[in-house]
Amino acid sequence: MNGAGRSGVRRVAILTGAGRGIGKGIATTLAERGYDLVITSRTSEDLEVTRLLVEEAGGSATVVVADLKDPDTPSLLVDTALHRYGRLDGLVNNAAVNFFVPFWDQPESNLDETIATNLTAPFFLCQAAANYWVENRLSGAIVNISSAEDTIAYPEQVPYACSKGGLLSMTKVLALEWGPLGIRVNAVSPGSVDTEMTPDVYRRQAPKLMPIGRLGRPEDIGACVFFLLSDDAAFVTGTALYADGGYMLQ
Amino acid sequence: MTGKLSGKNAIVTGVASGIGKATATRLAADGANLFCVDRDEAGLGKVVSGLGEGHIGYTADLSLASSCEEVVAAALAHWDNRIHILVNAAAILIREPTLEHSRKAWDLTFDVNLKAPFILSRDVVASMMEARIQGAIVNVASIEAVLPGRGHVAYTASKGAITMLTRSAAFEAAPYGIRVNAVSPGVIATGMNADLREDPESWSEMLSGTPMGRHGEPEEIAAVIAFLASDDPSFVTGAIVTSDGGWTLH
Repeated sequence: MNGAGRSGVRRVAILTGAGRGIGKGIATTLAERGYDLVITSRTSEDLEVTRLLVEEAGGSATVVVADLKDPDTPSLLVDTALHRYGRLDGLVNNAAVNFFVPFWDQPESNLDETIATNLTAPFFLCQAAANYWVENRLSGAIVNISSAEDTIAYPEQVPYACSKGGLLSMTKVLALEWGPLGIRVNAVSPGSVDTEMTPDVYRRQAPKLMPIGRLGRPEDIGACVFFLLSDDAAFVTGTALYADGGYMLQ
Repeated sequence: MTGKLSGKNAIVTGVASGIGKATATRLAADGANLFCVDRDEAGLGKVVSGLGEGHIGYTADLSLASSCEEVVAAALAHWDNRIHILVNAAAILIREPTLEHSRKAWDLTFDVNLKAPFILSRDVVASMMEARIQGAIVNVASIEAVLPGRGHVAYTASKGAITMLTRSAAFEAAPYGIRVNAVSPGVIATGMNADLREDPESWSEMLSGTPMGRHGEPEEIAAVIAFLASDDPSFVTGAIVTSDGGWTLH
């Protein structure tokens, strides 16, 4: 299995939030399947770990430590991909923040921070990548990492829910507008995934909480991202792939 | 006046025009006491003076977080801490090509269409909990959250976000008997599309997507809002009630 084009050339994608959790799983999965990556987050230590994992998986990763809220970051990431690898095939918007606070106690700064990171930053990265593809008459694919929470409610995370609801609608409108330009835009909406941030109680409850009987693994999400980036998904755009172990069925 | 909303104190935003204006008119006719908000002082004054005695007009720019907090504080002071209904109708739509959509337009759209409803809902829910009022909040979403239009990406994303604001706030407020719902309008004749209606050909093309074969009037959305704001749907919360003449059927 491999994501390289039929010519065998490795493809290149930008991945945000690559230092931890789901991002790390996406990075290793894409690297195993033929992608080289521009990986970014705010801290270099975590990214260096991801870079080594990507290299072990047979790929190359270029580390960019950047704040996604900085208006210059989108063009920096696109330029890095072009400078380092000479091409850009995909964009994966994975970075996100969440503030667990009862709704009536949420300061608006939590909403500001969440929308800026989880929605505004993905939009302007989509815009930067799309402008590159359009100006060069190339096609491209974007995957936004949403959440089951783009549809169902969880307690004490209203700003996060707002950001994911917005990200899902944004995915649809970009798919509509950029379809004729050869750019596909989809989302993967994970349910509970086992990462270093997962509370132990989730792991203990997973066998009875999840119809599939376990939490998701970062690599499960990586496989969905790979599919949506690949040519196998050539006719798929504007959709959200819910990877939640059946949780939303209940 | 006696009516279904007799004795209820209601804040409505965006009252100078469109759905907000029709909602204020309808809620007043149903017997509610109104606290009407808009940034357009003259337009607001005209609507409020037409509502009859005892209603308040409050000029505020809801793109400012501090103004949103002041609105709730002023309404609580006016009504001795008792707010029963909040209708978030104020919204803006900025048309800019998506590949060139500016940060300024994006941020302003989210300030008005998401952050203002977030702050108003948060503070009103807190006041309802404090006063043990089983009140109702009604947001105005849009079918664009599901079936997007072109050329105003921030608006579309903001409507996806308010959909999940509705559902996640509903989830947290439910144990207190406070209901949070939204109406999701289709094509409604308002100031937001006045320019489009001037071109009969493109307008009729737009309406061809509506099985009912016509646009909706603001009063038809106000009727749904009045229902959601009343005690009749006492077991309905987190619902997104589509009112679109059938647009989303196909």
